[in-house]
Amino acid sequence: MISFVVFSLRRAWQGFWRNALMSFAATATMVLMLMLLAGFWIVQTGLLSVLSFTEQKVEVTADVLDGSVQSDVQAVMTRIQAIPEVASVTYLSADQNLALFRQRLKDQGRDDLTQYLDTNPLHASLDVKLKDPHVFGGVVDALHAESAVIGNVQEQQQLVDRVLTVTSILRTAGTVLLGVVGIIALFIIVNTIRLAVVARAEEIEIMRLVGASDAFIRWPFVFEGAFVGILGAAITLGLLAAAADPISSFMVGFFQVVPLQFGSLTRDLVVLVVGAGVGLGILGSWLSVRTYLIR
Amino acid sequence: MTPVPAPPAARSIRHRVLRRAATEQAAPERNVLVLHDVTKQYPNGKLALREIDLVIPEGDFVFLVGPSGAGKSTLMKLIIRDEVASQGQVVLDGQDLARLPRRQVPKMRRKIGIIFQDFKLLPTKTVWENVAFALEVTGTPRRQVRPAVDRVLSLVGLTAQSSQIPAQLSGGEQQRTAIARALVHDPKMIIADEPTGNLDPLISWEILQLLLRINELGVTVMMATHNAEVVTALRKRVVALEEGRIIRDQEGGAYHHEE
Repeated sequence: MISFVVFSLRRAWQGFWRNALMSFAATATMVLMLMLLAGFWIVQTGLLSVLSFTEQKVEVTADVLDGSVQSDVQAVMTRIQAIPEVASVTYLSADQNLALFRQRLKDQGRDDLTQYLDTNPLHASLDVKLKDPHVFGGVVDALHAESAVIGNVQEQQQLVDRVLTVTSILRTAGTVLLGVVGIIALFIIVNTIRLAVVARAEEIEIMRLVGASDAFIRWPFVFEGAFVGILGAAITLGLLAAAADPISSFMVGFFQVVPLQFGSLTRDLVVLVVGAGVGLGILGSWLSVRTYLIR
Repeated sequence: MTPVPAPPAARSIRHRVLRRAATEQAAPERNVLVLHDVTKQYPNGKLALREIDLVIPEGDFVFLVGPSGAGKSTLMKLIIRDEVASQGQVVLDGQDLARLPRRQVPKMRRKIGIIFQDFKLLPTKTVWENVAFALEVTGTPRRQVRPAVDRVLSLVGLTAQSSQIPAQLSGGEQQRTAIARALVHDPKMIIADEPTGNLDPLISWEILQLLLRINELGVTVMMATHNAEVVTALRKRVVALEEGRIIRDQEGGAYHHEE
């Protein structure tokens, strides 16, 4: 058994180098496909984080009338907090709102025009976060009822519904697209590896004629395919690592989102690229050699 | 994945000769190959062989003759179970090939050594590696490979050329390499498909001499050929095929039918 594995690995290694041009063609194809896959995956991940970021944004904001008494505001907050659908109620003073507004402008890299204002044009507000962005319950009506304290209630229900529809469509479309790219990659890689196998058809024929069993014919090629996959994955990851900074600035710049954990992104990406590379290599060889085995 | 230990070829051939000599009187003569009522029709409808009956006893030397398309190649494909008979039985070394499980086919093939007109050597491997290849790909332990390869190479007289690649060899030497490879599994039978087709007359005779010597060592030989001169001169058993039928099966025959 061990000698079989050693034999197969040695033959795979020899096979790779004996037909170096073909092997590098297969590896290059593999790199291209993995780059495509990784690129799609990165965009998809960025998109998803934007979507969940947007969903987090879903909240009801109610302006507190200027000059309201603190205890009245407190009482309203307690009553709103008591509604089952509400996750939290936060009071933000006019100054806090201005500070937040300025911070947001800064994050987005825009000029802060509020510095030219004499007074703070913003009101104090109550930010109501919902447990589930889809379920508003009676929150908006309850806020409207508190007319002594609450002024304008920002009605987002329709907007939120629309955003949620768009996000779920984008999620589905992204996943489908990733799957389609994966299948195309499989076809192209299978074809390339098949070329490498066909180039060695004579050798396979001799193996069959001298009585080599299927395993001895198949596994060297499968290992060779896995080897192409590993090499392709390594090159792809190397290229991605070299391009990591531009990619992350692209992510932040394009999607306007900060909350990306690059640590987990990298880990998932390594798993995806290596897994897809080795998997496609093995599958490609397996399918290609099958034609030549004993019927 | 059970590696079949290939016993050192030359020695065990000698053993077999001795064993055969010892048991000759006691045991009835064994048949290496029996074809009974074999018909082969290809999926495209072409009838390549019709109702073939053929018995080849152990140690026989048989010439298979006939025009191109007579069914010689199909017959050989049936023997190595590259194809399966549409009807009838092909029994090799007591085993009906049609009933042989797929997994057992490789093992069965190691009982046959095959030689082709175009040698089918691997151009990037040396003579020694080409012969060793047959053992390596059948899972022979490495320590058994070297002595076995060295023995068959000395048997065919290629010890001096063992580290050359096929391109550096003459046609005759290439065919001898192929014969060494066919012998390295210590086969019961050698099947040669036009082994002298690419060789000039003198070299053809050399190859014939080698096959005859191997036959004397107890290995059954079946050789398909168009070489009339050789067949007629040697007066061995001649099986003539025409349009898929055996039209002549004659001990000590000539290439052409004689009155």
